Amino acid sequence: MNKGTLLALSITVLTILLIASGTIWPVPAAVAFAGGAKKDMIGASSTPQRAVDDLGTEIRLRDWNKAYSSLANKAEFTQDQFLHDLSGHSLSLRTYATLDGFEVQPLHQSADAAEVNMKLRWSTVVGTFVDTRDLHVVKTSGHWAVEWPIVQEQHVPPQVIAVNYLRWDVISSGSGDDWGAQDVESPHVRIVDMHPVNRADGVVILGELLNEDIIPAYVSVRAALVGKNGATLDSEGSFDMIDHTLLPKQVTPFVINFPGIDLTQVASIRMDPVSVLVSASADPVVEVQNQTYNPAPNASLTGQLSNQSGQTVNVAHVISSFYDKNGQLVWVAGQYIDRALHPQTPVPFRIPVPEDLAKNINSERTVIATYSTGSSL
Amino acid sequence: MAPSSKPIPLTYILLAAVAIHLPLMLMQLPLKSYDTNFHIFFASHYVHHWFDPWNTKWFAGFSQTTYPPMPQQWVALLSWILGLNMAYMAVQLAAILLLVVGMYRFARLWVGPRAASFAALATVLLGSESFLVYSAGQLSTTVAAPLYLNALPFFFDWLRYGNWRSFLKAAVLLVAAAAAHHATLLFGSAFFALPVVALVLFDSKEDAESPATSTSALVIRLVSIAVVVGLAIAVTLLPYWIGLIRYPITQTPIPHASRANYLLSPEIGINYFIVPYGALILALPFVVIRGARIPRLRPLLLGFWLCFLVGLGGTTQVGSILLGRAFEVLTFERFSYWATLLALPIVGLIISEAINRFRLKAVIPIALVAASGCALAMAWSTIHPPDAANFDVTNVALWLNRDGHDKYRYVTLGFGSKLSRLAILTDADSVDGESNSSRMLPELTKYGGAALTSSKYFAKPGLDSLRAILNHADRYGLKWVLVKDSYYDPLLYFAGWRPVDQLDDKTITIWGKDGVPPAVPMNAAQKPAAWQGLLWGTLPIGFSFLAILVIFIPERRPRGFRDDVTREDYAGSFNDPAVSGEVIS
Repeated sequence: MNKGTLLALSITVLTILLIASGTIWPVPAAVAFAGGAKKDMIGASSTPQRAVDDLGTEIRLRDWNKAYSSLANKAEFTQDQFLHDLSGHSLSLRTYATLDGFEVQPLHQSADAAEVNMKLRWSTVVGTFVDTRDLHVVKTSGHWAVEWPIVQEQHVPPQVIAVNYLRWDVISSGSGDDWGAQDVESPHVRIVDMHPVNRADGVVILGELLNEDIIPAYVSVRAALVGKNGATLDSEGSFDMIDHTLLPKQVTPFVINFPGIDLTQVASIRMDPVSVLVSASADPVVEVQNQTYNPAPNASLTGQLSNQSGQTVNVAHVISSFYDKNGQLVWVAGQYIDRALHPQTPVPFRIPVPEDLAKNINSERTVIATYSTGSSL
Repeated sequence: MAPSSKPIPLTYILLAAVAIHLPLMLMQLPLKSYDTNFHIFFASHYVHHWFDPWNTKWFAGFSQTTYPPMPQQWVALLSWILGLNMAYMAVQLAAILLLVVGMYRFARLWVGPRAASFAALATVLLGSESFLVYSAGQLSTTVAAPLYLNALPFFFDWLRYGNWRSFLKAAVLLVAAAAAHHATLLFGSAFFALPVVALVLFDSKEDAESPATSTSALVIRLVSIAVVVGLAIAVTLLPYWIGLIRYPITQTPIPHASRANYLLSPEIGINYFIVPYGALILALPFVVIRGARIPRLRPLLLGFWLCFLVGLGGTTQVGSILLGRAFEVLTFERFSYWATLLALPIVGLIISEAINRFRLKAVIPIALVAASGCALAMAWSTIHPPDAANFDVTNVALWLNRDGHDKYRYVTLGFGSKLSRLAILTDADSVDGESNSSRMLPELTKYGGAALTSSKYFAKPGLDSLRAILNHADRYGLKWVLVKDSYYDPLLYFAGWRPVDQLDDKTITIWGKDGVPPAVPMNAAQKPAAWQGLLWGTLPIGFSFLAILVIFIPERRPRGFRDDVTREDYAGSFNDPAVSGEVIS
């Protein structure tokens, strides 16, 4: 064999080996693009965990056909029902959520069946939510396949719902008005409670804001921490941890985070509530049902949201205030609901509470901010 | 009848390039690509502020010294006559024509004039070139590569014969290439220049008719040109280096599909392998066989092979091992581009041999396959458009420019590369932008998302970045969010923005936030000094003018050895008929 042939052969063989190696043991960047776990290159799922891994990868790649086909119990529901379970029936946070990652925890295994816990971390425009499923995995025809615990959304029968809600409209002085530059006095709002606390990741300001006026207000709260030398350490806003639309006499809790700052550095706090007159309506009405505080361990507030109106709420944000026995505010936390709120169809929520504060909590109050498509302008 | 050894006249090849690419340029097809608007945006700044690279329109203020300026400055210059869009097209077309000449000259180092002319013709139909021009919009890469290819024959002459004219030409062209795209020079040194150095050594041993080049002379010449070019680049791009030293790129790596494994993610493989390589895929086995059999071509083959492996992104571990952390920062379509350029001299030789042997039976299939590959790459921006929807941002710009709206900053969501187009048209400033290496705002660099306007495509990192910047709206005077994609509506609603207007048949919604103070100048510490602006506006473009001038200094020595031509051809290459457009009789 001459040198040229040997070189050509070496290049060819090395290239094939390098590609094979890069495919069997892909670099992290390639793994991420392949769905977060190495795809099955050698055939059927050989372990229960591998079967769940493969299913998670297919869901992450939004390969619904393949994910549905791999299920052991697919005869029990259609692919559309499987898809609606994962991405919601109506427009909701689930609809455009992307699977950021998943964790698989084997619980129990026998020769032909296994129980596996799967935590799916979905990324949405408003943050991440976790969907936990306990999966039954069975061995059929020599390979493992997942029995998907389908969650089917309830649907109420067609009916007419009469609504009788308050509504405030604002007549602007002209089409050229810049939004927010109004010729009317801003609604009167007041911070009725404000409580800075030191947490591991920085200072957190908890509080409550009251709309004292007889007109609705669009509100937000800004705060600035002033250091001992008089300089401003940081200024932040309540962002989404507040219900921005307040009807007359309504109260909203708020939270402002100052990451990386210790309360000992702070000499004073400047609070700056902002309010603007806006059109608003009391609809949709969302009722909190079966609200229960579950003490430590795993302290949380659980309950159900029930949409009493006739229109679907696409996204709901639950914000809860927690008080001690003296009625002092000790914590504010929130959770986005990943499924749409259909009329008269309860949807559960669970808001975790820090363990160190859980023992102080005596009572709680919850407000619901809602977003429905097409209602914003 | 004896096989023809006539090269295709370079004039004809240039005419073919014009015939194929000029209509597409007149149609402004590159405007549909990922980065074309980005380059035009940079150029638009140079139009108004030639000596002030500080641009307030993106990232609440950033320095354009973070990106080599030469091609954009040419666009800015020509825009006085042609307007920005057509000026871009003119510069891009010039780069395509320059590649034809560069490839011919580079290929002549390795193969004969006929094979080199086929290599040059192949650049006209090269899938990777069309992919970068029409889909990726990488003006800088496609300008720098031909400059580099044109420099290499002079580099060879300098190393081989110590020709000072060649030294001057090589040095000026190499600096001009760096002024267009520094990465091309950096990686080109490994993939392109090292094979040329090996060729000098090879020729020195094998070519009995030319004086041998001693190792010491070679080392001295190599070091001398490296030092001179290195110093010249250091001075020419000094503001870039100062910025890099003061503000090193420490941002969280941004995912890029070219780092995928093309077998595990075949849809990405189509984009980054099938389309750029196109017809060349069929030639790859022959490139390896022919390149390995001819000893003189082996350095070129090895350069191609290494570049090919790196260009495969995450399909092999080669890129990750060789580049380390840079693997997470670089994108790999340009490596594939360089790999195809390195393969072309061998491809030219294969085509030449095939046509000599099979005549029309070879010409027809080769032409058909090459044209198909080229057509696929050109059409790719339509088949697989960078932006889901093509829309006009003029009304959005008009809205921002009226009633004092431009006192505040804005971000767009769902605008894709129209972000750059909007920035060209509006007076308002944004906290977003498309130049990832230019951004300094912590909200943009911390999470691993690219432009905010496309944040949903970067999943959690992108959305975390968006939430962080919206959370600090007051800090940046960020009052307006221009939304083309209702996906983002829930976030804006819950975060305290409200819709204030709708444009273009309600396809674009403008959201506003109350109580936001007007924008104030920011990032002043990062602003380059006035002398840096002067340097930036003078030297990079100056070297391109100098390159045009020195190229007309006449040559005295022949270059390289061609294994498919006779000694007579070799001796006659001083007056190259292919270059002059004449046909050898």
